[in-house]
Amino acid sequence: MSKLTRKPSAPSLQNAPAKFEKFNLTENPFPSEPVVNKDSEDKRINGGIYELALRESEYEKIRTNFLAQSQADPNHLRLGYIMDESYIGRGNGKSAFLLHLQHAVNSQFCLDLSDGVNKCFAIYVTPEPGGRTKSFSAFVDACYNALLASNVISSCCAILRLNAIAELYPDQRIVDAYSDEQQLVEDLCNEEWFLSRQLDLAEIGRHIHANRFLQDLPPDFPLFKEASANSLFGSFVTQQDFAEFYEKLRKGKERLEFVFSYLIRLFQAADFNGAYVLVDDFERIPDFQSARQKKDFALELRSVLFDGLYHNARIGFLDFLFVLHAGVPRLISDAWQESGMEARSPISQRTSRHIINFTKLTKQHVTLLLKKYLDEYRIGPVQPHDISPFTPDAAERIGEVSEYNAARILKLAYGLLGKAAEENGIREIDARFVDEHRDTDQGSLEKESPIAVNTAETIDLNKKALGDA
Amino acid sequence: MHSTVVAPNLSVRKFYFLEYFYILLESVARYRNREQVFESFKLLKQQYGLGESKFKKLTVDPENLSETQLKRYRYTFNQVIEEAKGYHLLAEDDDGTLQLTGEGRDLLEKFGTDSYNIELLDLMENSSRAFRHLIDRMYAANPANPGLLVFPVYSPYQLDFSRVDTKTTGDIRRYGDALATRLEKDIDSNLGKRVQLQRGNHELIQRLIDSDLLPREDTKPFPSQKYNAIVSRFRAYWLNYFLKDIYGYDLSLSAFDIWIYRGKQIGIIHATEFYPGFFGRLVFPTSVIVPNSKSQDFRELHRYCDDGRHLLVHQPLDEKGQERFVDSLWKGYLSLRRTHRSYFINLSALREVVCYNMRISERVFELLLNRAYKHRISGNLRMRISLEVDRLPEETKATYLKQAPVMVDGKYRNIIAIDLPEGVSHNE
Repeated sequence: MSKLTRKPSAPSLQNAPAKFEKFNLTENPFPSEPVVNKDSEDKRINGGIYELALRESEYEKIRTNFLAQSQADPNHLRLGYIMDESYIGRGNGKSAFLLHLQHAVNSQFCLDLSDGVNKCFAIYVTPEPGGRTKSFSAFVDACYNALLASNVISSCCAILRLNAIAELYPDQRIVDAYSDEQQLVEDLCNEEWFLSRQLDLAEIGRHIHANRFLQDLPPDFPLFKEASANSLFGSFVTQQDFAEFYEKLRKGKERLEFVFSYLIRLFQAADFNGAYVLVDDFERIPDFQSARQKKDFALELRSVLFDGLYHNARIGFLDFLFVLHAGVPRLISDAWQESGMEARSPISQRTSRHIINFTKLTKQHVTLLLKKYLDEYRIGPVQPHDISPFTPDAAERIGEVSEYNAARILKLAYGLLGKAAEENGIREIDARFVDEHRDTDQGSLEKESPIAVNTAETIDLNKKALGDA
Repeated sequence: MHSTVVAPNLSVRKFYFLEYFYILLESVARYRNREQVFESFKLLKQQYGLGESKFKKLTVDPENLSETQLKRYRYTFNQVIEEAKGYHLLAEDDDGTLQLTGEGRDLLEKFGTDSYNIELLDLMENSSRAFRHLIDRMYAANPANPGLLVFPVYSPYQLDFSRVDTKTTGDIRRYGDALATRLEKDIDSNLGKRVQLQRGNHELIQRLIDSDLLPREDTKPFPSQKYNAIVSRFRAYWLNYFLKDIYGYDLSLSAFDIWIYRGKQIGIIHATEFYPGFFGRLVFPTSVIVPNSKSQDFRELHRYCDDGRHLLVHQPLDEKGQERFVDSLWKGYLSLRRTHRSYFINLSALREVVCYNMRISERVFELLLNRAYKHRISGNLRMRISLEVDRLPEETKATYLKQAPVMVDGKYRNIIAIDLPEGVSHNE
């Protein structure tokens, strides 16, 4: 008999309930490994699901003291510290918070958050975990890479071209034709698009070149390739040209000048009046530095931010926000003192406008956090305060046993929900269920340390003395 | 030969530092009049930093003491005199004048050498046998990890009960429950025993209610100024539980503390409140009490005449011990670096890990580290060890109160980094 016509003896199921359907969920909404990865597509771990209420006070402080303050005010804050108060350190939601902040700034370039006073963008920087971001120049490289990753330079090119088109071709109403700004930026960075619309790129290039902010730039600045006086034929400039140009610059002075003077003028030409550099896991820098390196780093930082000859130091364009673990201030306080950073932006003061304390989560936050994730994956509508299948008691218990650490809460919730889905007859997760199954999925977060008292190697002196060892 | 073992006398005079004997004897050597001796004692106490900690500057001026301070100084002074008299180090005449005995003069001369502490150990053991009792019990109390005593302490904060949210009897009850569960876990994992602590917890809360620290109803708030008193009652209750019920000691916590820290100065017991990742105190012996040792790594400090046993301290100072030390140092460094994610780590934390791992005293650790460092400088050790002074002990606050800094190559150091040259694997 042909395999084409043979039928299997077991019947094919026509329908079966999905694993999480009984809880009114499409799938398990919680991440199995709650570590933020901003490049992931999964909204459970890329910071896409974010409960603003959890960090409302921190966010509000940053909004009032940084985002809403006019960048033109010479005394605006140029450096702030987000200080983690929790002794647990990791998994407290700092990275998720920063990504959310970056998103909030970039969605309307801060115009909405500052009532139109500032037009700023934000970039998210993480130093390399293995200690390679030890020198200031390596830190600048990391910032530049973050700049490229956020496509800000593309946006700047697009803005400059858009402004030029508006002046040169007043009857072209380009912005009105687009509902998707992302698409507009992409098109404005595509040579074909200009050709198809018969827009004169050389003319646009010359118009851009005439921008008052770009007058002091050196002639080899990548943007000028388009209307270069040195070559007969201009070529279309993209962000890639900036990336390649930077690679060719020598480490140190040349790169610093490029980032902290020339690029700032480009941003200004594109109507930006500031930018936020959000530095996550800052401790990865001083952790690997010697006392000397710490001091050098602080001196360079002071030079580009406050006192040097760089254009940035003169106008205070870039505002840095460092995320510091509880132990970091102690680690860098000497370097800050010696370099004069302490006078500029004190790290030892606990209550100051530039210091944002990142506090621990509370009981109420746990419920909000669970609800936020559950709501993202609901099949049908639910009541406003519904966190089913979890009971309010369970949420409280989850908070307690996870020590109010966001990552642990999510991981435990993931494990509990998975367990409840597998067991027949479980319709809700209560505090008892939490107690019975709390160890299900804590493993990977609490790996046994080789120095933990109960697992560390040690010897039995009596046996050794008696010769039995 | 079997002989009866003398019962220990665990009562103790209330002071830790063995240097007190020295400053007393020195003062008596200079003066005989009790008041003059006291004046000199006060100044020397200041000079040797014998306050709360030897590594914290005494801020009081010995010439201008307040009433309470003076009372405390005099109390300590009298306690040292009483104990010294008990050891026949000095004699008091009928008119109250003091004078050194021959033994006192001998001990005075030994100050600054190893024999000073050993001599005192002999005096103490001959009259009290406290260390013998303490150490024997340590080995008997924990079969899972011989000698180790744990005294976990978790404040509400450490169990995630914030002070602002802890307002009612119910909140305290929840803290008590969480604490009991945590302690049950600790006892299981460190001592290999399963115990139920909820009954004790209820009993404690009932006592707090009976003594008016907590209201009877769970929903009622307690006065916030009583918060610290309530928390310290939890601490004292469970520490006592560990000491008496789990380990079977019949002495007060404060007497236990004094004996332990005296033992630590002699080097026969190690106690720490700073073991990385552990909340509370660890105590373990760095010595054994046996008839004879087959290992060369032990040094005799005292002999018990009645049953011929010896108190031997663990000092693996030969080449093999040195190798084991370097190995332990490297492994401990790697673990700490992993958790702290930094190149330089706190040297005291590493010392705790190595002392626990090798069951050695701080003094032996320092000896071995100094040796390793010298080998490194002379090029005989392929491992690179960098020691730096991050901040001097007196510049910092709380942590150095009971945590002695490490002296290497004549300088106090507090951070360490270790590196292996490329291509060299450890054990080469």
